[in-house]
Order: sequence, then C-alpha cells, then structure tokens
Amino acid sequence: MTPEETRKMIDHLDESRTGRPSPSPEQLIDRDPQAAQEWYYLNLAVDAVRNAGLHEQVAFIKENLRKEQNAPAKPAHTEQYIAVPANQPTKPAAERSSGAIIRSISKYSLRAAAFILVITSSTVLYKYLTVSSSSLYERYFGAYNLNTSRGETTESPIVQAYDTKDWNKVIALAGATGARDNQVEFLAGMADLQLNRCDDAITHFEQVIAANAQASTDFYQDEAEYYLAISWLACKKVNQAMPILEKIKADPHHQYHQKVAEMSFFDLRLAQYKENK
Amino acid sequence: MRAQEQYTDVELIAAISAGRELNEAIRFIYRQYSQATSSFIMQHGGSEQDADDIFQETVVAFIEVVQKGKYRGEASVKTFLNSIARNYWFNEIKKRDRSGLRDKQFELSRDKNEADVSHYISEMERKRQLRELVDQLGESCRKVLLLFYYENLSMKEMVEHLPYDNEQVVRNKKYKCLQALAGLIKDNPAIARQMQEILK
Repeated sequence: MTPEETRKMIDHLDESRTGRPSPSPEQLIDRDPQAAQEWYYLNLAVDAVRNAGLHEQVAFIKENLRKEQNAPAKPAHTEQYIAVPANQPTKPAAERSSGAIIRSISKYSLRAAAFILVITSSTVLYKYLTVSSSSLYERYFGAYNLNTSRGETTESPIVQAYDTKDWNKVIALAGATGARDNQVEFLAGMADLQLNRCDDAITHFEQVIAANAQASTDFYQDEAEYYLAISWLACKKVNQAMPILEKIKADPHHQYHQKVAEMSFFDLRLAQYKENK
Repeated sequence: MRAQEQYTDVELIAAISAGRELNEAIRFIYRQYSQATSSFIMQHGGSEQDADDIFQETVVAFIEVVQKGKYRGEASVKTFLNSIARNYWFNEIKKRDRSGLRDKQFELSRDKNEADVSHYISEMERKRQLRELVDQLGESCRKVLLLFYYENLSMKEMVEHLPYDNEQVVRNKKYKCLQALAGLIKDNPAIARQMQEILK
C-alpha cells in the first residue's frame, strides 16, 4: 500500500460518512487483500474514535447528574455536552461544570451580600438617626446606691438626705460643708446629675479625682470617673466622655469595668461622629 | 428543551436513533435505570466504583446498539440494560479470577428468560480495548479525530478549535492521526488474533 493509496482509502472512508463515497478505492479493496486489511483497520480506528467520544459524553452527563444530586439547590441550568469545545479538547466536564457551579455560587453570594448590605445599611441609618449623647446618657445612667459598709456607724445628714433622694438638700448640705471630703463631693455631684445639672456634676466629680491625685488616695475614685463620663454624655459632650470610658474598659480591675464593657462603643462612636460633624 | 425528559421505550429509542436530545436521553437512562443496576452489582461483590463503571459501559453499548439499528425491541430497555450490565459484571469477575464466586453468583441471579447477550459483551470488551488505544494516541491526535469523526465538524470548523493555521494542515494531521491509530490497532496482539479469525 502506497501512502497515496492509504490517503485515497481514508478519503473514501470519510466520504462514506457523508454518503458520497468515491468508487475507485472499492475496486482496490476488492482485489487487494492487503488493501482489504488496511480498510478493516481504518474502519476499526474510526469506530474506536466514535466509541471514545460517546464514552466521554456519557461520562460528562453522569458527572453532571452527580453534581446536581449533591448540590443543595437546583442548579440554574443544565450543562449540555459538547465533546470538544474550543481550547478545551477532550476532558471538558470538570472545567465547564465547575464554571457553572462558580457562577451559581457567585449568584447566590451576590444575593446574600445585597441582602446583608440592605440590612446593614438600614441598621446604620436607624442608629444614625436615633443615637445621640442624650439617648446614650438615658441608656447608661443608673442611680448610685450608697454602700453603708464603708465603715460609717452613724449616717451623716448628707447620706441620709441622699438615701431619701432629697437632691436639693444634698446639694445644700454639701454647700454648707466647709472642708468637703470625697464622699460629700461625690454625693453632691450625683444630686446635681439627678437634677440634670450636668455641668455642676462634672465639677464635683473632677474635684474628687483631683483630690485623690493630690493625696494619692482612691476614695470614690472609680465612682467619680464613671459618673464623670456619664455627666459628659448628659452635657452632650461625647468627646470628653470617650477617653474616660475607654480607660475604664481597658482596666479589668476598675469597679465599673463590666458595666462599661457592656456598652455599645459603636453607638458611642456614632454619637461622637455626629457631635464632630 | 424540557427540564426533565420522560420517555417511553419507543420514544427513547427514537431519540437516540435520530441523534437528537442525546444528552437528555442519557440523563433519563441514568435517572431511571442506574440505581437498580448499581444495587445489583454491589450485592454481587462489586464496589460502588465497579457499579459506576459497569453502568457507564452499559449505557455506551446500548446507545451504539440503538444507533446502529441493532436494537430489535424484543426486550424492554430496562431488561436489556440489566442483562448487559449483569453479564458484563460477571465477565469482569471472571477476568479478576474469581470464577468460583462468579459461577455461583451468576447461576443464583440468572433470569432463565434472559436473552443471550454474550455477543454484546464480547463487543463491549473489544471496544474497551480499542478505546485504550485511542487514549494512547496523545492529546492533539485524539482531539483532531474526535472533532472530525465524533463531532462531525468540517475542516473549516476544526481550524477554529485547533492551533493550526489552515484546513490543509488540519487535513494532513487527521490523515496521520488516523493512520497512527490504525497502526496501533494492527500492532495490538488481541485484535490481531481477532483479525486472523475473521480472515480464515
């Protein structure tokens, strides 16, 4: 068999596919046993290729079905087999179907992200409109209850007035006291705070802190620091309150550490942002 | 295209014969028949992978039989697939040298009314050997031959899918690849024996 004869035979085989075979190789096949054998092998080769293609197509569909069965949700579309797509010759299933999955995942992710964005945006907008230093003051202000176990056997008039919530009397008694200790100063500050006199309250609490700093003591120190921050909130000055609250939050031994740790610093910073605008 | 095709046997055979909706037909066959066949194979010494491979070979064989017009409809599609899959599996067991187990299991499960499908089984085995030779060709030749003989693309269309400049280069490549495959087949001892028997 010459190469030219083999070529003609292959052309004949290909034309047979389309129903237009040329007659000349048929005569060759009929009269030459070697040509008949060659013809047989060429036909086997074509059969083998077709079988390989079909095998690949079935494998592709099977793999796709398996992925669909394992997927949590129904896929957006069914992958169709194309035996040899452009630039992805013979093993396209994994690449093309993974592309579909990635597209599906991306679609769901985008929907989820959009949903989260809407929720987050709504929450932030709501917070922005509602959060203020005043609202924070109302949220975090709590009345101070005197601890009588501090060693006092007999309650002083100012303590009695405080216990009975007579805020004006507390203030009057504190003003009448010549040398005020930290307790008197603090209670006076709390009474002012109860009467919404935040500026006066701030003065009393700062006085407690200054006295402790001067005497190297800590009498009513933690209480003064906490309520000083609360007083700044009451006076709508979050910028002044924040450093004190952050200091308390950073100090696990501070008496008001837990209380401050439970505060929303997001809301505090939002109020601070609004204040600085 | 419908989301999930349902076919009667007649419709399925018609769809495969006409070469239309082949993807959907394959999907239907898998959805409808793979479970029972897989269970049978796993109950008879096969692994899940064995069941998977056997059913895939069965589907390929079935489609080829239908496309060549050799499916006579004497048995239902389900019975035909089951017969092919069972016999192919027992043939596989035999190859794995577990003949005692095979004979016992085969006789226990054999349907006395089952059609003789031995010629299909030997044909499937021969096709499997040939397919291995296609895999030996190398990726570029495999691609060229699949595009032409399975996808039925023209030379012009093939140029778009291949890294060759023009149709003549693709045509030459196809000649060489087909001759190379024919050569591999000729040199394969098992297939050469079959050839000698045919030429006797």
